Amino acid sequence: MNARNRRAAIAVGATVLATSLAACGGGGGAADGGTVEIEFLTQDGGTSVPLAEAMIEAFQTANPDVVVKLQTQPGGTEGDNLTKTKLSTQEMSDVFTYNSGSLLQALNPDQTLVPLSDQPWVGDLSEDFAQVVSTPNGLYGAPVGTSRVGAVMYNRALYEELGLEVPTSWSEFMANNETIAAEAPDVAPIIQTYGDTWTSQLFVLGDFANVQSADPQWAAEYTAGNRSYAEEPGLAGFRHQQEAFEADLFNEDFPSATFENGLRMLAEGEGAHYPMLTDSISTIQQNNPDAVDDIGVFALPADDAANTAITVWQPNAIYIPSTTEDEKLEAAKRFVTFFNSPEGCAVQSEVLVPGGPFVTSACPAPEDAPPIIADIQEYFDSGATTPALEFLSPIKGPNLENITVAVGSGITSAADGAAQYDEDVRKQAQQLGLEGW
Amino acid sequence: MRARRVRGVVVGAVAVLVSVVVFLVPFAFILVTAAKTAEEASLLSFSLPSEWALWDNLVAVLTTRDGVVVRAFVNSTILTVASVALMVVVAAMVGYVLQRRSSRWNPVVNFFVLAGLIVPPAVVPTIWVLQTIGLFKTIPGMVLINATFGLSFCVLLFRAFVSTVPRELDEAAIIDGAGPMRLFFTVVLPLLKPVVITVVVVQAVAVFNDFTGPLYFLPGDENATVQLTLYNFQSQVLSQWNLLFMDILLITLPPLVMYIFFNRQIVAGMTSGAVKG
Repeated sequence: MNARNRRAAIAVGATVLATSLAACGGGGGAADGGTVEIEFLTQDGGTSVPLAEAMIEAFQTANPDVVVKLQTQPGGTEGDNLTKTKLSTQEMSDVFTYNSGSLLQALNPDQTLVPLSDQPWVGDLSEDFAQVVSTPNGLYGAPVGTSRVGAVMYNRALYEELGLEVPTSWSEFMANNETIAAEAPDVAPIIQTYGDTWTSQLFVLGDFANVQSADPQWAAEYTAGNRSYAEEPGLAGFRHQQEAFEADLFNEDFPSATFENGLRMLAEGEGAHYPMLTDSISTIQQNNPDAVDDIGVFALPADDAANTAITVWQPNAIYIPSTTEDEKLEAAKRFVTFFNSPEGCAVQSEVLVPGGPFVTSACPAPEDAPPIIADIQEYFDSGATTPALEFLSPIKGPNLENITVAVGSGITSAADGAAQYDEDVRKQAQQLGLEGW
Repeated sequence: MRARRVRGVVVGAVAVLVSVVVFLVPFAFILVTAAKTAEEASLLSFSLPSEWALWDNLVAVLTTRDGVVVRAFVNSTILTVASVALMVVVAAMVGYVLQRRSSRWNPVVNFFVLAGLIVPPAVVPTIWVLQTIGLFKTIPGMVLINATFGLSFCVLLFRAFVSTVPRELDEAAIIDGAGPMRLFFTVVLPLLKPVVITVVVVQAVAVFNDFTGPLYFLPGDENATVQLTLYNFQSQVLSQWNLLFMDILLITLPPLVMYIFFNRQIVAGMTSGAVKG
């Protein structure tokens, strides 16, 4: 990325802000010969393109009067900028995939998207999901794919071999780690992969459900500026990461190992636990297909077993921009509806390796799902789930991954790391103009 | 004498070694990773593949999304050739006139040339302009954008180089009855060959490797360019490293082939531009 690219990105950011209010109207489509053509935009890479292709094929078979053209764009920061640019220049495709939660709010959905609150599938959505695709004025998105959880993925085969039980509290978890270290010296009790810095955040982000069960008002009070990570229960995630480092439980190459190394170690039994997002099971499916049935998952344990709950990341969603009008809008709504119809669900469970349960009751859990899904489902059935903090609060400091790398490498103490993160968060909250900071 | 020769050999050997490490090792890594299976490639280790899958990967990359990579190569080629041709002709004309004919417009033109280097491109307003003239999402629109972004730099190069061409040549041509067009295209432009090659190389690489330009100004799968296709094989949790590196290999080849064939002219062009510029 050279200087010009960076300047371009900054220029986009600035102009998007200035122009998003002015963006309305325009567009419109023409139908010829009774068929309508709509565009569907999805993100490059991974499973989203095969899913989109299969979905379009099934949809066109059921709806011969609509032609859907697939478009793709990169994800990540570039994708965010591009999505905002397209919305503000009225060039957005008729249906598009994007994140739910705080990134959706940054698109200004009330001005740029078509509300879908009156659609028939809305009633089937789980409450948690409906919340992350809505503003006070309406609901804008339909889910694509399954939810996923941020928790400890573990090697079942190893657990059986050593006769271990799934831990429900932090002390049980540490006891398991000690057993593994003592009885299987070749196996790293906990895998950490700071070569990909984002993977270091799971101890903190995945612990959020436990924080919220200890203090049900935590997320709301945190947004208001009345809670911080420097105090319990927020501190627990940082503290546990420090304890795990001090007990020397990590794989030897943890400072440079990558995300994919980590999954390979887990799959091949070189590591026992890997705190990670469960949609990474699709990477195991690609690289170590035989090991998929050996992988299970449990929630990051809280100090008090009663508080242990699992942190859920909601799936992305599909949206219709307000530039889609007339017969295209009608066709686009049919396409969105199709995603969560029985046929659409069948396509989703066929193409995707699910990382968790679906968030709409319209889609049943697939029967041949890997065992990890059954593990997650148990938490859903018992109600021990909480959406990740990024879905409940607009604040997420950009430096968390650097701070957790430092804590996990023993460079910074948990208390200092938490304090640094609070400072990081304070700046962001002030930029967002939130009250109480 | 002898000591100096030994030192020369040592310095030469070190230089060769450094270029091998800097250029050939990454290339070898690309090559071996592109020949591995997905499972093996995910280790990202520098080793020979245990199972050669070069052909399978090539087919997989070329058939991804109904041949988006092939389409991207066609688009990128058209874009690069058209943009660079436009830049060379226009910049040579501007540079020639700026250097030869001084008028009170010169400072104004110079100011805009400099502004072209300094002012950052603003994406959304540029898209508005393109939408108004109906060139958004078209190859000609993207050609114009590339030419605009590269023009200032080229004008500076040409203006500097034209000053090394003797004015007497122009005058002789005019006395022999050449009109302005003939003077420029048959007399002056051929003399600018070294700097033309510099511009072609630098700008062709810049246009061919540009990522953000086509990303924002040329959306749509039918308009994909080669750099954009890289994202087909990469995402946060699932990366197909073998296919990604195969795509990188394919994208690296055209500049490499170009360099092998035009090696001498490129080096000559670079140095002549550097000394006289």
